[in-house]
Amino acid sequence: MTGKPRPDVGDAATAPYWEAAARHELMLPRCDRCGLVFFPPRQLCPGCWSDELSWQQVGGGGTVWTFTEVHVPFYDDTWADDVPYVVAVIELDEGPRLLAGIVEADTERLAIGDRVNVVFEDRPERVTLPVFRVVPRLDGGS
Amino acid sequence: MSVLDGIAIVGVAETAIGKLPGRSAISLQAEAGVAAVATAGLAKDDIDGVFSFSGYSQAMMLHAARVAEHLGLRPELAVVTDVGGPGTHHAALLNVATAIDAGMCTTALCTYGENGISIRRSGRGRAPGTLTGGEDFEAPHGQIAMISGYALFAQRHMHLYGTTSEQLGAVAVASRYHASLNDNAHKREPITLDDHQASPMISSPLRRLDCSLISDAGGAFVVTSIDRARSLGVPFVRVLGYGAATTHHIPSQAPDLHELGGPVAAARAFERAGLTVGDADAVYIHDACTFSVVAGVEALGLCGEGEGGPYAESGALVLGSACPVNLHGGMLSHGHAGGVFHLLDAVRQLQGAAGRRQVEGAGVVVAHGNGGVFSTFSTMVLGRGE
Repeated sequence: MTGKPRPDVGDAATAPYWEAAARHELMLPRCDRCGLVFFPPRQLCPGCWSDELSWQQVGGGGTVWTFTEVHVPFYDDTWADDVPYVVAVIELDEGPRLLAGIVEADTERLAIGDRVNVVFEDRPERVTLPVFRVVPRLDGGS
Repeated sequence: MSVLDGIAIVGVAETAIGKLPGRSAISLQAEAGVAAVATAGLAKDDIDGVFSFSGYSQAMMLHAARVAEHLGLRPELAVVTDVGGPGTHHAALLNVATAIDAGMCTTALCTYGENGISIRRSGRGRAPGTLTGGEDFEAPHGQIAMISGYALFAQRHMHLYGTTSEQLGAVAVASRYHASLNDNAHKREPITLDDHQASPMISSPLRRLDCSLISDAGGAFVVTSIDRARSLGVPFVRVLGYGAATTHHIPSQAPDLHELGGPVAAARAFERAGLTVGDADAVYIHDACTFSVVAGVEALGLCGEGEGGPYAESGALVLGSACPVNLHGGMLSHGHAGGVFHLLDAVRQLQGAAGRRQVEGAGVVVAHGNGGVFSTFSTMVLGRGE
């Protein structure tokens, strides 16, 4: 098995994101000029091109914007032990969307619009990934 | 007046399509290129521009220079375009038109193709995770294949509009029927909706028969000035209108379905052509998956937003309808080696050279679709030259 893809945690523009994840915190860049909170992190604000940015801890709550359950390992056996696994686009409560796994998903019940919270997965690839877990619904659903 | 008004597509050709063991991508592109030049009634010495793309299974630097060297050509310009999907070929037409207008080229050869099956033998295929552009923020989560990116949007379309797997299946069945009329298609044996529903899930909600093929194949076209085209004595095709739109790169940064670039690209192309989709005799939609066709018929205005599923199920995609879709069989059945074959078959329809799948008297044909995961869109309205 070849290794799973590992993000470039040494990229100066994105390193604080990965350092925060390692502390099990979700932090996103926020533009000091226009206030935009955005993802993925980069060295400038995509809204106004200001390079005056701060890092803001976000709540980690969001909703499932869309998802897919991957049933086959593509290309080689890298993900063979993981299939089937869920990949989702999460809309964070602060606005930005990001793509992440959903852990312990009940795929029979998983639905767009489900509430999720961030959890942190310390991976053998020496990186911590923010992933999400569905918040149980009060009506007894998933 | 646009530089695109000054050019004509005068020849198209494709190689055999399927599993072609031992064939390199460059050899497939060169074979298609030589054949396309011949169909235009031209010869090697007539070609003074090369425009190409390597495709993604083995992306290369200076690919057009490589094609030129392979074919023993020393053109002024050898230019790569990489817009994604059909945009790559459409933007090549724009580049050729600009080069001809600038006096830097008179007749261009445009070559495409990949050996997506046979490249696995050489071990030179792409590294997983590099294709979709989300090396840092998507691939580590397992978003490593284009098709699971498409699945994300198919899922959302089902959620918002009630689109069903059976409606996607209607796209697969129509494509295979058209491929059964095309002796050069990779997959020609007809399939049923039951076959589609029984095919294994790849990335929900997309099943195996929702996915485009991977093929070894090459395709090419030849472009020259309108004046020269008229002197060649072959049927030729003109660009009536071209439009494009770019909204994002990686799937998580896409706008919502109704804000994707497809309708914008199509509207720009039709406006520049002074035509509407009602003028089209056939359309060719870049079908990385069945859902791409559902999104495409909506974007082109063949049906309303969210109505692509019922439209496909109604039979409107099939030869004999007012505006059939993907008459060569699409990437779902004819073959997928970079997606140039939609443009080639659109040209053949306008040349009256599409054999059993010919739309009688086709005068306006549209090629449309996306690159990336609905990241870039391109629409080309084509017409018969005179």
